[in-house]
Amino acid sequence: MNKRWKNYLKGAPGEFYDELIAPTGNPRVAARRAVNLLQSLSPEEIAARRAAADLAIRDMGISFTVYTEGGNIDRAWPFDLIPRVITAKEWQRVSAGLLQRGRALNCFIDDIYNHQKILADKVVPAEIVLESPNYKPQCANVSPRYGVWAHICGSDLVRDHNGRFYVLEDNLRVPSGVSYMLENREITKRVLPELFENYSILPVDDYPSRLHATLASLSPRQQKRPSIVVLTPGIYNSAYFEHAYLAHGMGAELVEGVDLFVADDDCLYMRTVEGPLRVDVVYRRIDDDFIDPEVFRADSQLGVPGLMRAWQAGNVAIANAPGSGVADDKVVYAYVPEMIRYYLGEEPRLASVPTYLCSEEKDRDYVLANLEKLVVKPANESGGYGLMVGPHATQATRKKFAKLIEADPRNYIAQPTLALSTAPTYIDGKVQPRHLDLRPFILQGDQSWVTPGGLTRVALTKGSLVVNSSQGGGSKDTWIVRARS
Amino acid sequence: MTMLSRVAERLFWMARYLERAEDTARLTSAYAHLIMDIPVGDDPGWQTLVNIMDADEVFEANHRVHNEHNVLRFLIANGDNPASIRFAVKAARENVRTTRDQLPEEAWEQVNELYLYSEEMAEKSVGRRNRYAFLEEIITRCQMINGMILTTISRDHAYRFIKLGHLLERSDMTSRVIDVGTGSILTREAPDTAIDPLLWGYLLQALSAMGAYRRTIGPQLEAATVVDFLFTEERFPRSLQFCLRGIHEELKPLHNSAETLALLDSTRRKVSRFQAQSLSLEQIHLFIDEFQLALNQVSNTITATWFQPESS
Repeated sequence: MNKRWKNYLKGAPGEFYDELIAPTGNPRVAARRAVNLLQSLSPEEIAARRAAADLAIRDMGISFTVYTEGGNIDRAWPFDLIPRVITAKEWQRVSAGLLQRGRALNCFIDDIYNHQKILADKVVPAEIVLESPNYKPQCANVSPRYGVWAHICGSDLVRDHNGRFYVLEDNLRVPSGVSYMLENREITKRVLPELFENYSILPVDDYPSRLHATLASLSPRQQKRPSIVVLTPGIYNSAYFEHAYLAHGMGAELVEGVDLFVADDDCLYMRTVEGPLRVDVVYRRIDDDFIDPEVFRADSQLGVPGLMRAWQAGNVAIANAPGSGVADDKVVYAYVPEMIRYYLGEEPRLASVPTYLCSEEKDRDYVLANLEKLVVKPANESGGYGLMVGPHATQATRKKFAKLIEADPRNYIAQPTLALSTAPTYIDGKVQPRHLDLRPFILQGDQSWVTPGGLTRVALTKGSLVVNSSQGGGSKDTWIVRARS
Repeated sequence: MTMLSRVAERLFWMARYLERAEDTARLTSAYAHLIMDIPVGDDPGWQTLVNIMDADEVFEANHRVHNEHNVLRFLIANGDNPASIRFAVKAARENVRTTRDQLPEEAWEQVNELYLYSEEMAEKSVGRRNRYAFLEEIITRCQMINGMILTTISRDHAYRFIKLGHLLERSDMTSRVIDVGTGSILTREAPDTAIDPLLWGYLLQALSAMGAYRRTIGPQLEAATVVDFLFTEERFPRSLQFCLRGIHEELKPLHNSAETLALLDSTRRKVSRFQAQSLSLEQIHLFIDEFQLALNQVSNTITATWFQPESS
């Protein structure tokens, strides 16, 4: 082993599963050629590649806005040069598990808004679902095509110390990050082209056309080219870059609420220089609460008055369908394995993380007694806000969370702290292990499909387990590689 | 393919601001050269430049004295002044940022590069040492972006509204360049045969019009012939007549264009009948003022017809 990476695992060999380096200190088989090549580069050369990547990122305008920073301050997307490598064989198992999970989640949503059989059969307690703020009674008795509500799902995966994949959460509302997955590959191709010479890496760049096919399959009108729009909250949204990127990639219109209106015929139209034009499919990147001021928040300026009416009348498809969030509640998460058994009659192929529901007395007592071992999460927040990592929290923070849990138990869940896997990451010019997760995207329409790989997010702070980009995380290109024949 | 009204509006303004950045750089560069060549006392003074841009009010809110540094800082680097290069570049970038899905991918990269360059260099380029290089760079980059868009974009609505924006802004700015000439001569007691040809020469250069003028008219630089050339020479792409004809061509295929066309064509007729020989400089100056008002009206009608129609 070249000495540049020699000290990489010193101090913690085998404590965490490392994505690229085996406990022996040697690269894993699939990563060997990439690691060897990266090791052969001098620090000067690495710095030059780093600079090239920064330039590419700056030129592409890859940036995202963090809400709390206000205004439109652009921050460059923190990208790490070293790719994460996963074998196609392993990925196939993960991918099958994700498809299974996606199917079950959609069965669940469709059931909740139509027959509520799973509640009648007491597989999932009714109050957990019906009292969740993510349950939208306004969506009852609607039957989207194919029984699919969540057409785009971003599930977060982590590995434990044995390298086993777990689903940490499912994002069924407006999951973001896929554009960074695409751009990361683009950057790696630009700045480390030689890495690709001896690998068979599954391409990711067909995502926009897959997404387009999925959305087109939802069109209520049988048309050769259905009219598809991407509905964005606008330029100040943290994911605006992605909205524009995907609209461009699909050849769809990127619209804001003001561009659309629902006419007396309950159909949706966009305002164009040639007059009103009917819209068939809305890929909305706005939360339920804001999409229609007539039905949800009346003060919303982002949505379209009457959109729900048009959707209920079957005149427009919305992806993801309103109300899909009922299945990405962190309390509901605990019941996903049961859902898979209930709807599909199958055993879950992908593990879920054991979850303690603070609403259950027994679980709550355990959580309160073991706060220093657990990760506590609010049931309905995303982006890593309002989360407590027990082992890293101060006494005061733990006390604060104990109070929060006692005050509103339904709103909190807890999970054991997983020893998240690590991967070599350049930090201040040195290669160091950093924790990461993986967000693949699952598309469901007339067909289902999983991205080969996904967005790998890295916690850049040493020892940190919080990988969200809004919390100072970075990202890596993720490779699914076929063994060479 | 149709186009969202909001997007059409942003593309139109992107084009206007890019053209404004380029033309302001041309004008500023030519003017700064001009002033160096004319003996102190005979030069038209820096106030004229602010006046030409209709920016007196904003200027006076920022500065007291119309000296070289203040005026150039105001026109190059003042991010709050809508007539400054820095402002125009920033506004162009904001408009591209929200329409990047409509443009070739390189458009965003290049406009963003231009913006980063302007943000970094504008303040440092007010002084004589860096000024010229900065203004040249702005002109070159704007032309590159325009060329790239021109050679890659489909001839549909996006192209149409971009072209409308460019031509409207360009005719406005050309009229302002002419006004520099009339205005600066007007500030003096009488025409000066030693200085005036120099002045008109620089103004032609500011519009990259020197070669075309010499080939069409000849080497003599007189107020009336130069002004006539810039007004009515249909073959020269920065002349008013050329720009107005282009606007006419782009408006014609659009839905509901009758009102805007009527307004435009009345201005076209006035410009085609224009003869500088028979007018005093003062009258030319007034004509230009009226022309700019008419352009404004055309722009407002475009907004009301295609960008913000009242009925849905």
